[in-house]
Amino acid sequence: MAGTTVPLTLGRARNERVASTIYLLRRNPRMIVGGLIVLAWLFVAAFAPIIAPFDPIKVNVIDSLQSPNATHWLGTDDLGRDVFSRVLWGSRISLSVGLISVSIGLLVGTSLGLAAGYLGGKFDLIIMRGIDALLAFPALILAIAITSALGPQIQNAMIAIGIVAIPAYARLTRGQVLAVRAREFIVAARTIGCSPLRIVMRHIFPNVMNALIVQATLSTAFAILAEAALSFLGLGPQPPFPSWGQDINYSQRYLPNLKWWMSVGPGLAIFSAVFAFNFLSDALRDALDPRLRRSA
Amino acid sequence: MIRYIIRRLLLMIPVAFLVTIGVFTLARISPVDPVLVFAGEDRDPVQLEAIRHQLGLDQSLPIQYVAWLTHALQGDLGRSFQNHQRVTEAIVERLPATLELGAAALLISVSFALVIGIVSAVKRNSLVDLLSTSVTLMGVSFPSFFLGVLLILLFAYVIPGKIFPPGGFVPITTDVGDNLRRLVLPAVTLATGSLALNLRQVRSSLLEVFGLEYVRTARAKGLRERAVIVRHALKNALIPVVTLVGIQVGAIIEGAVITETIFSWPGVGRLVVQAIPSHDYPVVQGVVLVSALSFMLSTLLVDVLYARVDPRISFESAAA
Repeated sequence: MAGTTVPLTLGRARNERVASTIYLLRRNPRMIVGGLIVLAWLFVAAFAPIIAPFDPIKVNVIDSLQSPNATHWLGTDDLGRDVFSRVLWGSRISLSVGLISVSIGLLVGTSLGLAAGYLGGKFDLIIMRGIDALLAFPALILAIAITSALGPQIQNAMIAIGIVAIPAYARLTRGQVLAVRAREFIVAARTIGCSPLRIVMRHIFPNVMNALIVQATLSTAFAILAEAALSFLGLGPQPPFPSWGQDINYSQRYLPNLKWWMSVGPGLAIFSAVFAFNFLSDALRDALDPRLRRSA
Repeated sequence: MIRYIIRRLLLMIPVAFLVTIGVFTLARISPVDPVLVFAGEDRDPVQLEAIRHQLGLDQSLPIQYVAWLTHALQGDLGRSFQNHQRVTEAIVERLPATLELGAAALLISVSFALVIGIVSAVKRNSLVDLLSTSVTLMGVSFPSFFLGVLLILLFAYVIPGKIFPPGGFVPITTDVGDNLRRLVLPAVTLATGSLALNLRQVRSSLLEVFGLEYVRTARAKGLRERAVIVRHALKNALIPVVTLVGIQVGAIIEGAVITETIFSWPGVGRLVVQAIPSHDYPVVQGVVLVSALSFMLSTLLVDVLYARVDPRISFESAAA
């Protein structure tokens, strides 16, 4: 009898949780706005070769420095390259750097945080001093230092931004692990002989997930901004490949000639992508934080 | 309190030690041979070996690290590969320009954040509140280099009269007016990001404090609203703002990197950006070390200040 009651109760609880989350998502317009812009950029990045009207690196001097018109929606640069096409292709760089660097930070930071929080003792002390040392560097300065040491390439920008993101995940995860480590269900799991790896992965990790999802969305916004800043400084992908930050830097030489469209396209692209991820992370925090959910 | 500061300083030592290892390693993982950079056009093998020996690069890495750290502790961060100037000297030379820019940006950011934040919290859901929350959201998402480019376009080229120059720097000792005119656009650019954060903090802290009992008591005993806000609410609400601003002070060099590059402002940020393409590692290393240490020190100062302004935090409990 008891054997049938427990799964039913658990199943109902899970259904209720899913239903209430869906209800909150539908009630939260920020989630919809942020999510839709993010999805739009992901779509653009995935299908840029199909939807971009022109080749983003093909030089066409005859069409150079055209203001926005029916053919070139965001105008052309001094080499006659279509700014709109470069913005669309640039999303591939920005989003891939954003997602890959966040994955690096998430994977390494979460593993370190889980290990430090669960194992404790000297292990915790050593890991956390390392994390403190990483936190001692201002984020952008550290990203610049790593990229300049490894060389100005897109892979190195990903690694640099990923390393910068590690401390946030490590500290967040460790804090959550410490909060749940002494809870009864963990003690129970230990008592029935679960291995430390199983306890961490099956019992502790799911409790950290919500906070990690919010942090990952927020750090994707930072990563896109950081990649654009690195590219602006010449530390991202190298010309002629399109990159939002680099294109804004390049456009600066045409400011005295009032060729504003060369910078406005990539600038608004960065803004909209960062804005969408920030918006989404705020909405996710409201939806996934149990305290906020209760008050809602 | 002194015991607390000493304890915090002692705790900083292992972290600072790890920071120096990090800074040292960064310069050594580069695939470019620093000897070739230092030698420039001179590629004579004998000469290259002599330079390698002179720079101590023929020693093992631990010995190189100890030598570098010993010199750094004495304020010697090596010489620039480009112009052979002492790195410490180069940083000290450019620091006033960075500090001027940082101070101006902070002044703009804090004063606007306080005024708009207070009005926004007091008149919640009003037009000002709506505008301030929009500015907050836009400010944290708007890339500073794009804002800088737009400001240059608008004020230096589009608006007739060229109100502000597109860049450059004139020392305040040479011409105060020109210095300030050139300061406006970079300071506004640098201030926008922190303005958004400070504004959000002022507003949310005030709203939180407005809901507390002692503010209700102050209102109930018939105090004027201005006195309730200034004398009672603001005092406590500003504590987290002090923390935030303190951290921003420590991160001045970080913020200045982009802004100084856009506006050709000859500060420490631009120094590091100019050093990167020429693989001038001593300069990059020096600036990264100085910015990390100043960031650490400002965090310590913020903690001390935090405990000082908030009587609920005792130094004993903070130290524990």
